[in-house]
Formats: sequence, C-alpha cells, structure tokens
Amino acid sequence: MDNIYLPYLAKIEEIRDEAPDVRSFKLVFEDPALRDSFEFKTGQFGLYSAFGLGESTFCIASSPTRKGYIQCTFRRTGRVTGGLAQLSVGDTMGFRGPYGNWFPVDDWKGKDIVFIAGGICLPTVRSVIWNVLDRRQHFGNITIVYGARTVADLVYKDELKGWDERSDITPSRPWTPARDPGMEGQGRVRADRIGRGRAFCEEHGGRDLHISKFVLNSLLKLGFDEGSVYT
Amino acid sequence: MNPARLSGRMKTVSMADRTLKKEDLGKLIDSVRAKGGRFVAPALLARQVVFRSVKSAEEVATGYILARNSFKEFLFPQTEVIAEFSMNKDSVGLKGVEVDAPETVVFGARPCEAASLKGLRTLFTWDFVDEFYTKREDKTVVITVGCTSGDEACFCTTVDLSPESTEGADVYLRETEDNGYTVKGLTEKGKKFLDTHDAVFTSGAAKERPLFKPETVPAVDLKRVSERLKDRAHYDDPVWAKLTMKCIGCGACTFVCPTCRCFDITDEGTAFEGERRKNWDSCQYDAFTLHASGHNPREHQPQRWRNRFMCKFNFYPEKFSSKGCVGCGRCIRVCPVRLDITEVMQEFSK
Repeated sequence: MDNIYLPYLAKIEEIRDEAPDVRSFKLVFEDPALRDSFEFKTGQFGLYSAFGLGESTFCIASSPTRKGYIQCTFRRTGRVTGGLAQLSVGDTMGFRGPYGNWFPVDDWKGKDIVFIAGGICLPTVRSVIWNVLDRRQHFGNITIVYGARTVADLVYKDELKGWDERSDITPSRPWTPARDPGMEGQGRVRADRIGRGRAFCEEHGGRDLHISKFVLNSLLKLGFDEGSVYT
Repeated sequence: MNPARLSGRMKTVSMADRTLKKEDLGKLIDSVRAKGGRFVAPALLARQVVFRSVKSAEEVATGYILARNSFKEFLFPQTEVIAEFSMNKDSVGLKGVEVDAPETVVFGARPCEAASLKGLRTLFTWDFVDEFYTKREDKTVVITVGCTSGDEACFCTTVDLSPESTEGADVYLRETEDNGYTVKGLTEKGKKFLDTHDAVFTSGAAKERPLFKPETVPAVDLKRVSERLKDRAHYDDPVWAKLTMKCIGCGACTFVCPTCRCFDITDEGTAFEGERRKNWDSCQYDAFTLHASGHNPREHQPQRWRNRFMCKFNFYPEKFSSKGCVGCGRCIRVCPVRLDITEVMQEFSK
C-alpha cells in the first residue's frame, strides 16, 4: 500500500541556533537512495515529525540547488516544535513532503529581483535566495531587504553578513526597531532599501511597516507590476 | 428551521428491473457477511437511527428519514491508525499500517448523501492518492433508497438533487407497497453486486410508493450565491456576525455532514512507542487555524462559519466541480442553537 502519510526518516547532521528559540537543522535522509532522488521546488514545505508528539508544518529552508540534504528552521512555540528543539545531532526525526506551491524562479531569468522578508519568514525566502545566488549569472540585480523585531531575532546572521559583503547583491543592512529609537518591541518591520533606489525608504521614512500587509501597496506605488510580485 | 419549506409528492416512472422482497433482506445480509463483508445500514441506537454495521434484518430501521450520522465514517473513519513507531536508543522504527478495507455494503443511504462521494473522492485523490479512503470506497457498494418521507430540514431540491438522484450510488432502490423494494443497478460495481446476489434480487416489478420531494427553499438562487461569494468583499460584511454569532463552535454540523472531510494527524503513545492517527477535525473549532505564533486568521466564530459556507458554495464547486452541500439537512437537525444554513443561502441570494 502506498501510504502518503508515512514520513521519511532523517538524521540531524547539524544544528544551528539562529535566534532565541529559533533553530536550524540540517537533515540527511536515512535511505541513501532517497538522498540522491529527493527533489523539491523552492518555496515548498514539509511536515516535520517529532515522534510521539506529532508533526508540524514549515518550509524547506535550503535550496534545491544544494543536493544531498535539506535544512529547516523553526521557532519553538508548541508541542511538536518543543520536541524537535530537544533533539540532538545524530537523532532521527521524520519528514513528509514536499508539498505546496513554489516560486517560479526560472521565469525570473534575466530580471532584477528584490527579496523582502521579516523575522522568521526569511527561511522560506532563503531557499529562493540561494537558488538564485547559486545560478547568479542568470539573473539581474539582486536586492535583499530584511528586518526583525530586534537584532537578536534576525536569523541566519552569518549569511546576512555574507550577503552584505557580496558585491553582486545590493547591500541591505537588516533593519530592526532597536535601531530606531522609540520603536523597540513594537513588533513591526521596516524595509530599508530596494532595487529601484531609496524611494521606498523615503516614502516610509518616518513610518513603520507591517511587512505582509503594506509592502505590496508600496511596491505598486513604486511602479512594480502586480504580476511581478510573488508571495 | 426554515419555516417556508413545504412537502410534496412526486409521480415518477421507475426504471427498475428487479425486486428485493422484505423477507429477503435478511438473506442478503447473511450472504454479504458469509463472504466476510460488512453490512452497514440505518439502525436504532440509543433511540436514534444511525448507520452501523448490522448482523440481521431485524436491526435495520424502517420509517426513518435520514440516519443521524453520515455513512462517510465507514469510508473515512473518525479516527484511524496510519503508522506505528518505536523509539530506540539510536534509531526510530517506523511502520506504515495497511488500511482495513473490508467488502462493505452501505444499505439505505439517501440519494442526497450519496452525492457527496464525488467530492470526497476528488479531495482524497487530489495531488496525492489517499489509499485509506480510496481502498475503502473501492470496496463499498452504496445502495440508496429513494425517500418516501422527509422533514423541514430536507433541502436536496434546493441544491439541484432529488430523491431520484443517482449520483454516487451503485444501486438505487424504491420502496414498494408490500414493504419490499424495486432495484436498479447503476454502476458496473452495482450490477455485479446484484448478479452475485441474484437469489434475492429477482426479476420482476412491484407497485412503488410515491417519493417525497421537498419544495425548494424560497428565495435561494445558487448562481447568485456563487457569484456573491466570488467577490471577497463580503469577508468583512457584518451580515456574517448577524447570521451566525449564535454558533457555539461545537462542530456537530461538520461531523454529521457527508461532505466535510477535514482531519488532523496526531501521535499517541508513550515515550518509547506509539501510533500516528488521522482524526476528524472541524473548521468550527477555534484552534483549527490557530498559528503557532498565537495569531488566528479566523479568530471569531462568524469567520469560521463564513469559511464553512465558503467551502460548501465556493471552494468545493470552484476547485473540484463538485457539490459542497447535498441538502441532506443534517447540520440543521443537529445544531444546538438552530442555525440553519438555508437562511444563509437566502441572505447570499439577495
């Protein structure tokens, strides 16, 4: 019987603490054949099992251009993620997937790309970012806009630094309210720069921005075509 | 309940070519069970008629309008084990579970609820094939009986069905004046079933009882409902609160609904071994859409009710080209606060 609910077993090869209560796993499937054959598209998600506690949904944070493993990043918030957070390197967990929609990255070849993410949403976008960076020659200018509630809440701090230092990415230092007196703990994110210049920042110069709700409107005002915005 | 609903009698022409005598029902049950199958029929339990596995004709209820539960639970159980796991020092043992799919006869279903099978099948084979469902449905023969009675909650004719509908059924029966049935095989599976049990399904004809046909609910226009739901501007319309604020979120409507099919997956057991289960869930529960962050996109009960209505009259028809509501009226009958989905249909027909 083909049991679609049966997860694959995977060993945790590496654990990285990203932020308070936020942790990344590098997972390698126990089945060697699956390591080679497993395919997914950037933006897809999976269900991650802590056996005895259940399974929980979050994205695949690594890029399909990196073979042999997948990565996930999660915040410890409930029963399952609490169980996952107790696992150590070498432990076994479950993965079911990939599921869901993906970003049509190949359609963007030759175009400038602006990535916008806030806080714990970066893992999904990270998969896309590395997908593009690993095939850098196919794409135009790349800008990464990222922010979080506090500096501590920024995830992938090492990678942010690396992206900031790359000459083929428009520099975008992460914004946090902590850098903006009076906004501490507001739970808001402010975008810094995007590829079409500083107009975006200037427009929102003194204002905070709830990223998922208002970014689209702002992009449209800047002249972005709605069909060219992907979420 | 919608007070404007009236009842009527249908004059119809039967296309049946066989009959099942009342005294032969027991033989049919014995015959199915002798082959290792289960015979599911409406039966009295705790003063209510419910679908359950029966062993004799005496258990099968008569004179019922509709079983209180849907027979979906024999294809999609309320809870079932999908995997077993054990945790050792350095590894995890994981074993899939084979679906328990006995040959099943569902007898005495109503034409409305059988029409739900298309939507369930489409959902459980959409993108991925859920064999826990498909294997059971493949081994099930659905025998519907045209309704000779109804109540104020029945509204099949409002959603373009009727006691004569055959969608989803393998065999269609009509009650006869001598308490037997006329029999019509509809699908290959159904015809094969009749042939296998031809000792009880004999050739012939009998005088059929007239069917009961519910009047359509006044002022309901399904096309208008569909059009209005497409425009998401209604999401924040206070009419949702006005119509559904009294909902207490018990979820009974979703459990008895033959088309509702949401489920959750949970683990049960000890720290060393356990099983993974697939359990019915309900969009009417406050935790159904609760995010790990604490944010809940459907924080209030009217928003959950809106989702249920959207699922029935927008998502299902648009996405699966199938009926999200079959007009069986179960949700109306079980609702502890008398919330009537046809009143919402009327509101969105304006």
